Amino acid sequence: MRPPRWSPEASATGAHPLWAGTEVHRALFAPRSTVANSGATEPVVFAEALRHTYDRRRFALDGVSFTVRRGEVFGLLGRNGAGKSTLIKAMTTLIRPTSGTLRILGLDPARDGRKIRSRIGVVQQSESFDFTTVQGNLDVYGVLWGIPTAERKRRREQLLAQFDLGEVRKRRAFDLSGGQKRRVQVAREFMHDMEILFLDEPTVGLDVIMRRTLLDAIRQEVRRGLTVVFTTHNLEEADYLCDRVAVIDEGRILVLDDLENLKRLYGGKKTIEVTVGDGSAARFFSSLTEGLGSRGSVRATGGSAVILTDDPRGALATIVALSQSLGVQLEWLNVRVNTLEDVFLRSVQHGGDAHGTA
Amino acid sequence: MALPNLLRLIYRNMAVNTDPGSLVILIGLPGMYLVFFGFGFASLASSSQPGTSYLSFLTPGIMAFQVVMAGTVGGGILWADRRWGMLSQLLSGPFTRLEYLLGIMLTSLLFGLGGALVMLGIADALLGSVPIQPLALAVIFGSITVGSIFFGALMLLLAAMLKSNTAYNSVQILLIFVVNFASTVFYPLSSGLPLALRILFEVNPLTYVSDAVRGAYLGTFSAIDGFQLLVLLAETGAVLFLAVRSYMRSDLSYE
Repeated sequence: MRPPRWSPEASATGAHPLWAGTEVHRALFAPRSTVANSGATEPVVFAEALRHTYDRRRFALDGVSFTVRRGEVFGLLGRNGAGKSTLIKAMTTLIRPTSGTLRILGLDPARDGRKIRSRIGVVQQSESFDFTTVQGNLDVYGVLWGIPTAERKRRREQLLAQFDLGEVRKRRAFDLSGGQKRRVQVAREFMHDMEILFLDEPTVGLDVIMRRTLLDAIRQEVRRGLTVVFTTHNLEEADYLCDRVAVIDEGRILVLDDLENLKRLYGGKKTIEVTVGDGSAARFFSSLTEGLGSRGSVRATGGSAVILTDDPRGALATIVALSQSLGVQLEWLNVRVNTLEDVFLRSVQHGGDAHGTA
Repeated sequence: MALPNLLRLIYRNMAVNTDPGSLVILIGLPGMYLVFFGFGFASLASSSQPGTSYLSFLTPGIMAFQVVMAGTVGGGILWADRRWGMLSQLLSGPFTRLEYLLGIMLTSLLFGLGGALVMLGIADALLGSVPIQPLALAVIFGSITVGSIFFGALMLLLAAMLKSNTAYNSVQILLIFVVNFASTVFYPLSSGLPLALRILFEVNPLTYVSDAVRGAYLGTFSAIDGFQLLVLLAETGAVLFLAVRSYMRSDLSYE
């Protein structure tokens, strides 16, 4: 049976069949009086049934509901055009959702936009610079945020060092490489204090070392109490950074949970990849589907197939036995541990049913 | 104590628009007009005001021309901020759209007034100090204020409407040339002009600014100059309304 999509109603009542009664679920939705520090669990972002359309025909956000708790790193995963950036724009008050309820830090963006914006930081997906030097960009931004001169200089120097921008400090931001520009953009945002940092794909264009430097810098801020809402395509960095992730597609949240829980619930099955000679592939995969029965699902494309199974050892035995009996040459055979990528792909491909049983 | 939001935005606009290259265009170009045209055409041109040199005639015109340059600063800031992502970045900070717009308008105004002062200084260096009465000074800077707001709003309207770099720059350059040369900045409005050109001169808001500044500077301010200023005020209100409406409805970026 196809499990229902996540909804606040289901979550609030513990009705979601996948995680009702789990430890994560209890931690997330325990009555407030039972939580030691209720202030810490009060959502800093509360979204319910958010919808937004740009053209009155297609919904960029289509009934999105979720909460973000203070001090957590909340990841939004999704393909291009899934609705991640629209959601970020709504949370940062740049657009007003067509309908639904949104509260940021307990405030209504429609009425208290400025109050909200003065307590958040935003790193946009696209480039944004002033036509001045790297150092100038940081300085001007500090002035814009009202940071006193001495403190501004201190932060500027610290950030230039932290983001390895010291050597290019006198160069114009627009003349830098893609990765350097991204670093300037992120470093600049740390010029001011904030309670929530919204990062829209902040690591695009960064090399491995700088990506890790950036993620570590964010982690450090999180340890000091910063809440981070983070969109990304990169599942490894979501895995590295996020406490919880929501997979969003076509404007809807397909799954939302603690990372480990997601992997356990959605990635419980193992993945076997198998490739055979093209000539005999159709016959082989048809027999394999029959042979595995309820022990696994086979998704074949040309000469290759991906098999999801709870019983990888039994499935492997079936594959080998079939290849011998049918005289089919196995060209590639691989068993994989499930990753966040599997969770993501399955949830997107099956609209929230990551088990692939739809 | 932290500066109010509006002042912070003005500081930022000034800081990112006062690099040497921009200053050469903003101040150097009108300054060169003043020096080269002022001396170059002096032997050809006979001033419409007896006892006045062409350079004296040109100085208030070039001061008035600063309002157009100020307008290009304002339009340029909005256009660049949308194109390069700073508009949405700033508006996701502690600023409102209106503050951002006011920041641009006031920056334009500062460039207009500052530029006019620089031109006055250059003229003083070339002509010797010209005594200007306080009331005349008020008329000069009042006219430049209104003119800067008019052209600032006009350029903002363009920046809010035009998305392509080529289109924005082409329209802006064309506008600067037409407005500049079809006005009384460089030469007086005379009956010898072809009718079409004369109409263009007479409906050109820069003519109103130029005439008012010149009248105050040379001590020939007339009722017609005053009436033209009132017309300019009304036109400024209308263009400002259109610019604000267009800006408030515009997207935050060109993505």
